[in-house]
Amino acid sequence: MSLRQDASLSAVTAGFVAVLISYAGPLAIFFQAAQSAEISTQMMSSWVWAISIGAAVSGIGLSLWLKVPVITAWSAPGTALLVTLFPGLSLNEAVGAYLSAALIVFAVGVSGTFDRLIALIPPGIAAAMMAGILFQFGIGVFTSLENSPALAMGMLTAYLVFKRLFPRYFLALLLLAGIVLTVLLEGASLAGVSWQLASPEPIRPEWTLHATLSLALPLALVSLTGQFLPGMTILRGAGYDAQARPILTITGLVSLPMALFGGITTVVAAITAALCTGKAAHPDPGKRYVAGVANGVFYLLGALFSGSIVLLFTSLPVTFVALLAGLALISAITSNLSAAAAEKGHLEASVITFLATASGVSLFGLGSAFWGVTIGCAAYLILHRPWRVEKELTRQRQAAGTARH
Amino acid sequence: MKHIEKGAGLATAPRDFIRDLNADNLSAGVVAGIFGLSAGVIHISAGTAAGLPQEFTLLWVISYLMINGLFGLFLPAYYRLPLPIANSIPGALLFAAVIPLVGLNEALGATLIAGAIALVVGLAGWMSLVMRLIPMPIVMGMVAGVLLKFGTNMVMPLQNALLPASVMILSFFFAARYLRRVPPLVVTLLVGVGYMAFSGADFSSVTLSFKLPEFIMPTFTLEAFLAYGLPLALILVGMETPAGVGLVKGMGYKSAPANAITALGGFGTMVSAFFNLHSTCIAAPMTGICSGPEAGSHDKRWVAAVIVGIIFITAAPFYGFVFSLIEAMPSYFIAIIAGLALLRVISSAMHMTFSGKHEVGAMFSFLIAVSGIQIFGIGSSFWALVLGAGLSMLVEFRDFDFSRKSAPSREAAASAR
Repeated sequence: MSLRQDASLSAVTAGFVAVLISYAGPLAIFFQAAQSAEISTQMMSSWVWAISIGAAVSGIGLSLWLKVPVITAWSAPGTALLVTLFPGLSLNEAVGAYLSAALIVFAVGVSGTFDRLIALIPPGIAAAMMAGILFQFGIGVFTSLENSPALAMGMLTAYLVFKRLFPRYFLALLLLAGIVLTVLLEGASLAGVSWQLASPEPIRPEWTLHATLSLALPLALVSLTGQFLPGMTILRGAGYDAQARPILTITGLVSLPMALFGGITTVVAAITAALCTGKAAHPDPGKRYVAGVANGVFYLLGALFSGSIVLLFTSLPVTFVALLAGLALISAITSNLSAAAAEKGHLEASVITFLATASGVSLFGLGSAFWGVTIGCAAYLILHRPWRVEKELTRQRQAAGTARH
Repeated sequence: MKHIEKGAGLATAPRDFIRDLNADNLSAGVVAGIFGLSAGVIHISAGTAAGLPQEFTLLWVISYLMINGLFGLFLPAYYRLPLPIANSIPGALLFAAVIPLVGLNEALGATLIAGAIALVVGLAGWMSLVMRLIPMPIVMGMVAGVLLKFGTNMVMPLQNALLPASVMILSFFFAARYLRRVPPLVVTLLVGVGYMAFSGADFSSVTLSFKLPEFIMPTFTLEAFLAYGLPLALILVGMETPAGVGLVKGMGYKSAPANAITALGGFGTMVSAFFNLHSTCIAAPMTGICSGPEAGSHDKRWVAAVIVGIIFITAAPFYGFVFSLIEAMPSYFIAIIAGLALLRVISSAMHMTFSGKHEVGAMFSFLIAVSGIQIFGIGSSFWALVLGAGLSMLVEFRDFDFSRKSAPSREAAASAR
């Protein structure tokens, strides 16, 4: 089993599309943070270099080591946090907080508590949370239908045709068809893009109590709840028996040097992970790790030419990215909703999880993925958790249920 | 009239109503009634947004309750099925938006034609055909998509009203688990009202008034028909009725009279046109409440729908009062009650949507319905059904009933019935 033997076009495409979606989507928030921090484009390119290298090194290493598609990225909820903190926070303070947050993630990983936490979440609730996170992307396909009907109809048709005729390569074909359609219909221009190598700039870290409380702790918390939790859940949901301990430990360690160049915490991806862990990447789950490696390699390319790559991806029309992401994720949404609906025993708790996650509710700075799981688990404990006498009844009912199937 | 399904009849209905009345269907009826009353707020905000005169909007809502209530009294009683009647919310938004463009009488003329179309479809018995062409997972995907908003709206108050929202939601969970006799919604209602009274909600804006529906003569223009009449007919036939019938069937009422509901909705819509009202049809969210497990024993849930009719007719002339009372409650109160009331319906709808067959069509139907897109002025629910069924035929044709050998015998059985 060598990488060369296991490599496939579908896995490489999945890895590429995952990087494309990350650069075209969540990176915009990081740009916004950079704008509120009023930094130079040079510095911005260094930041992008750092997050890309962090994701590349950890992603390639973990995927090859664990033989599991570990898709890494930077903490998207963390960048959203940054937008609100700059310019009140200095760059040096931010870097200090990045280092502290990376250490916290590392410590949580080493302790092994995260694995125990994830094992406690009932399967239907985990699947419902994933569906809730990915849901907005599915809806995006149809809202695009209103904004740019021609492109949306074209890509929707392409999706259906390719999905029907070439299910193995539909993502690669869809990507190509989408780019052709975008250039033809939307007149997307790549004229402003020039090739430039990145030049990372180190920043001296500085620790303050203010930055620790307002950035380091919340950053670690939103990264664990908003990225690692759904990311690990999706790996488990796709059937991989991956442990959180090595993944948290490695991403935490990689984050440390990257922080010095303005890279926010490296984490496990949630949304783009769904692309690389499913059938779209490869029919054989044992060969999907290639998508994780490819994802890392494309991040490496992104890091090398951080300025130009970023310019390239951000010049793509928003609708194109929304359509590509939505169509690529539809099967992931369907399989997660099916998995949630199949758990008849705690269906209502799963539906509440889905509703809360999809609602986008945000409380105390924590995102809807966390609240979805929290509310869902509370509903599970109150509504469905079998206590003593009922335990026996439920077991009988479940036995009857499995007999029927 | 051979396609109109026979029901249990009205002669013994009052006696049976008393016999079948119980705490479960009473509370479900009251909750659905309150839900229906609160839907008047949608009409009022739609009217205000379109710049319609205040007095017309109030007249519109009063007609809504009175006319829909009268039909809602007789249909569930005749069939002994939980079939509450109200009007089309997408239709209402369309109606309010089109009046400034084509005029009130012209809009009502288009309503009359739309009603006639629905009546013909129902009488001709095409409804069952439409329902067979569009399979259940796809219909349920649309229903789940339409209802999803109510579910997510229930969660949103946690952001701004954390304490009352969590108190109300937790009371529902605990009551559902531990109080087997008392319907959990009643507990949540009482807890919610108790909390509001305790926290000093302001009831001083509540005023009493009395008003009845007024007669108006529709006029006919082609542009009003194209802009609003045709979409309304499609909404009534292609969406409101399948949504309602789909829900009732999903709750185990396999004999739900699709043709009669369509025809009666059409007739009711024609009557509505003379009273400043845009439609009469089966009401999906209220059907969810009245036909769901919350409404208690399966063969007695029809009582809940009749109670909705009674509440509507009683409340109609006093709606000015009811409206000011609803206004006194914070908006999240109704959002939470509606969300909790629909929770089990959304759950079972989602279970049926993703039960295996027609997976792609059902998923697209669900997503389109949630997205709320409008194409050619026709709302997403219609497109969810049409595109969902179309895509399903393209991608998973083998899942359709008529793609199998057994199809002709099913047709024969259906026409014999």
